[in-house]
Amino acid sequence: MSHPSISRRTLLRGLGVSLALPWLEATTTVAKAATQTPVNRMAYIFVPNGVHMPNWTPKTEGYGFDLPRILQPLAPVRKNLMVLSGLTHDKGRANGDGAGDHARSASVFLTGAQPRKTNGKDIRSGVSVDQVAAKEVGHLTRFSSLELGTDAGRQAGNCDSGYSCAYSSNISWSGSATPVGKEVNPKLVFERLFAGGSKKEADQNRAQREAMQQSVLDFISDDAKRLQKKLGRNDNRKLDEYLTGVREIERRMNAGTDDLELTHDVNYAPPAGIPKEYKDHLRLMCDMMVLAFQTDSTRISTMMFANAGDNKNYRDIGVPEGHHSLSHHRDDPEKLEKITRINHFHVQQLSYLLQRMQSIQEGEFTLLDNSMIVYGSGISDGNRHNNENLPVLLAGGGAGTLETGRHVRYDYETPMCNLFMSMLERMNVKAPYVGDSTGSLSNLS
Amino acid sequence: MLTSIPDSKWVNRNHLRRFPPWTEYGLCIIERPYSAFVAGHQEQPPRTDRNSVIRFPLFLQASLFCFTWIAACVVLPAQEKSRDSALETLRNYCYDCHTGDEAEGGIVVDFFEQNKPLDRRVETVEKMLLVLREQQMPPADYDELKAKERVALLDWIDGELEKFDCGEVSRPGRVTIRKLNRVEYDNTIRDLTGLNLNLAKDFPSDDVGDGFDNIGDVLTLPPILMEKYIAAATEVAEQVIANKKATELLFPTKADDPKDLAQVVTAARENAERLAFRAYRRPLSSYDKNRIFELMRATYSKGFTPDEIRKTLITAVLSSPQFIYRVESDDNRKFEDGVRKLDDFELASRLSYFLWSTMPDEELFEVAKTGKLGTAEGLEEQVDRMLADPKSEALVKNFAGQWLQLRDLENLSPDPNSFPDFNERIRSAMRRETEELFSHLLKENRSVLEMLNANYSFLNEDLAGFYGVEGVQGNYFRKVALGGSRSGILMHASVLLITSNPTRTSPVKRGKWVLDNLLGEPPPPPPPDVPELDESGETLGTLRQQLEQHRANPNCAVCHTKMDALGFGLENFDAIGKWRDQDGRNSIDPSGILPGGRKFQGPVELVNLLAEDKKAAFCRCMSRKMLTYALGRGLGVYDRCTINGILGRLESDNYSFQSLIKSIVTSDPFRLQEQAD
Repeated sequence: MSHPSISRRTLLRGLGVSLALPWLEATTTVAKAATQTPVNRMAYIFVPNGVHMPNWTPKTEGYGFDLPRILQPLAPVRKNLMVLSGLTHDKGRANGDGAGDHARSASVFLTGAQPRKTNGKDIRSGVSVDQVAAKEVGHLTRFSSLELGTDAGRQAGNCDSGYSCAYSSNISWSGSATPVGKEVNPKLVFERLFAGGSKKEADQNRAQREAMQQSVLDFISDDAKRLQKKLGRNDNRKLDEYLTGVREIERRMNAGTDDLELTHDVNYAPPAGIPKEYKDHLRLMCDMMVLAFQTDSTRISTMMFANAGDNKNYRDIGVPEGHHSLSHHRDDPEKLEKITRINHFHVQQLSYLLQRMQSIQEGEFTLLDNSMIVYGSGISDGNRHNNENLPVLLAGGGAGTLETGRHVRYDYETPMCNLFMSMLERMNVKAPYVGDSTGSLSNLS
Repeated sequence: MLTSIPDSKWVNRNHLRRFPPWTEYGLCIIERPYSAFVAGHQEQPPRTDRNSVIRFPLFLQASLFCFTWIAACVVLPAQEKSRDSALETLRNYCYDCHTGDEAEGGIVVDFFEQNKPLDRRVETVEKMLLVLREQQMPPADYDELKAKERVALLDWIDGELEKFDCGEVSRPGRVTIRKLNRVEYDNTIRDLTGLNLNLAKDFPSDDVGDGFDNIGDVLTLPPILMEKYIAAATEVAEQVIANKKATELLFPTKADDPKDLAQVVTAARENAERLAFRAYRRPLSSYDKNRIFELMRATYSKGFTPDEIRKTLITAVLSSPQFIYRVESDDNRKFEDGVRKLDDFELASRLSYFLWSTMPDEELFEVAKTGKLGTAEGLEEQVDRMLADPKSEALVKNFAGQWLQLRDLENLSPDPNSFPDFNERIRSAMRRETEELFSHLLKENRSVLEMLNANYSFLNEDLAGFYGVEGVQGNYFRKVALGGSRSGILMHASVLLITSNPTRTSPVKRGKWVLDNLLGEPPPPPPPDVPELDESGETLGTLRQQLEQHRANPNCAVCHTKMDALGFGLENFDAIGKWRDQDGRNSIDPSGILPGGRKFQGPVELVNLLAEDKKAAFCRCMSRKMLTYALGRGLGVYDRCTINGILGRLESDNYSFQSLIKSIVTSDPFRLQEQAD
């Protein structure tokens, strides 16, 4: 399979009209002209509090599986996804650390690592799969990865039974002590991705701006390095974060080649800010992810539909109670019905994302064909907080590397991290392991 | 405040030995049981509960040994028994792995058997408390430790720690460099430039640890934030240059003869160094000065205009780690026994970020130059001045806002069908009420105990209507006597809403909130596999009846008896804090019994009981929270001694709010820094 080589500038010039929110129809993507093999992307979407599994898991396996109630919104893209049953995150279990399943469910989701139970200093998790990939192939795009969410994180208090809020509000970890942080404001995502607006600066101004920025970067990295010599171990860990940030900016600046420069107009009305309605917010963030992929600004992204243990209500779909308190349903049919509705709502938004991706052509394929989107939760049943048989979907064709349209059931206790290994292979990333992986996942292609 | 000099034979020299000379102004607190003083240090302390110990903190001040009584709290019953059963629990559940040379992880825990002072073993004890509280020990594949035994053991160990004598070891702790959080960033830019730009609203939210968002160890700087720092610094630079007044403020010095290059350079250097001094909040080293000059010279030689040079300078200084972090560097410092006094500029920053959440003002910088902050008097004088300044509102918003979780109010949405009276105006009035009370107690130097049971509050027309209080008109908040209908923050709608679910109250959440935030006795988390409620009993009946089913299980009862009693005492207030006599069809019974047997008939009696019986616990809890916030680090076992000192002063000063603040800023951890490891 190969994509025709197209100059993205040519393509983008061809995009005429600026269309109304929230989306522009009939757009087409920017395939890397230089690359011969098709570009593949990976994204991970986290939903909190588990799902109601009886309404999630298809009864039949293999092709032509049935769509239980929660998955019904996915009917239009059923052929483009797989339901993966039986995967487990063992490190989300207490394993002697006591309560705090919600915090663990998020921190383990992409790391497969047992988080250290601490509410203050010395946070420790593991490097998440998206960041493993970002380190290896992130340099190919303007942004090595893009972390999105809808909740900024709690402003005060503890998050979950002795676990720092860092665990429950992040799924991306670039180092074992460094959560990547996420952007929740679509306006700011847009500005970050497409800074400078649509007009190309005059070359002279640009040179000036870059000279100025270079002086600043030299000055501050020198400052940081000098400070490091005078401080203690913990202080230096902090300054390492600072220097990592500076280097990332330098990389983007110095890359300076046409290859990494976004030079085209983006035909999307910039978002005004965070929409009032949660649904609109989610969809706008989905749009941002699609835009980033479509323009090849990044190939790696994560999104938290909500933070772990989230307790917001879903009044618009007839659920005035908080999600977390409902998830402790004790098999009450009324609560199970409401949880099902929340799960269904989240899957509707996923379906929106997948359909958007499907609508974007990349040569003879679509953006969805050339992506791998994992959707799931770090716990299975919200009442029991169990970490085996997690709800997991894998959507997209992985640039022709996945045999979609099936429900696959894996052996009990198969590590979720094995799926991550399989995905890294498909991104041409070699990693010895992720979290508690024992190999890669069979039966995906 | 301290008068008598103790007979020197009462003072064991060991306690004094390790204090270097600079502690002469410091407040060193030695605490030991009464009998230990009388009988000599080597005697075993009596086996008493922490609450029944009579304490003699010793204040060393201006080389005088003075001492004062701290009255004992409440005498609680028989301790021999709890010691025996705690040791029994340790033997049954811990000794298998944690004794002898081959102890797991090198952690040996049988030293309690010997009944000796804890000394450096406190660090082990602190670890034990942590793993026991978080149910990490005993391990899952070992015999299960029942909740009741766990709680009893925790209580006993905690009591033992209270007896720990810090005299042997001085450990003021080390504060990790603190990134300015969003509030501090905005305030600092405001005070530095005179421009109110609110740029930090676009930064990722600050990480919270130990209950606050200013903890150096916890705050992280993800790459996206670095981008934002530089973007924000660039924006500040643009705005300053575009604004004549701001430019004048930042670059006041002008060359007499603008054509004389030497003069121009001198003026430019002076301005740049002044800017960096204020931004870094400390005098510049010659290295700093050279770097700044190099930056200006390099940009000049690239053909930048004077405005562009200034912009580059501002951007660089405001993106520097020396601006973004509050640095207390070890460089060229003299440590004695691994500890040093902070210099006056470091203290000025600690003061201003504690009380104002911003950089020091000109006066504070001036005072720092004179060296006056090196004395307790000098520090306290500044506290008086700073609390009187409107900028101290930051302490209300940021400390109280996080301690009492008022900031969470914004994110709550009570169900509009169940609570049609709730709206945005009421939401903001709720927050304001609690802030106003806190602010009043702080500014008027009232007793901190009024937080619990003030029989007045601060209302505007909206909130008065909401509470059913008549005669309050207008939108401004004023002090209103409540005549016994509501009393203290537990009856503020803010707290009642924060501790509820969207559709109903949660007595458990309310009880837990009181234990966590007011009494500092957080219950351990529920066991990992909480048994489901017995469905056969059918969940009809009142919430109270349902929870009583729950408590029939002794493993639940050990914590829920306490939590639920507190929560049910507040059931007359619905999930948005409005008064009610009925919950659906059931009438409300707000009476209850606190552990220890004290009965109350309703909410006002409950909070009065807390203010009386639990005042020591409340003061300890509040002091711990405030010290954490003031230092920007979590507290360790050595800080217990500091807290005891603070409590001593608080008690002898009639619990006055400002003495709490003053004893914090004059404490060792606030004024000293440990050397990096």
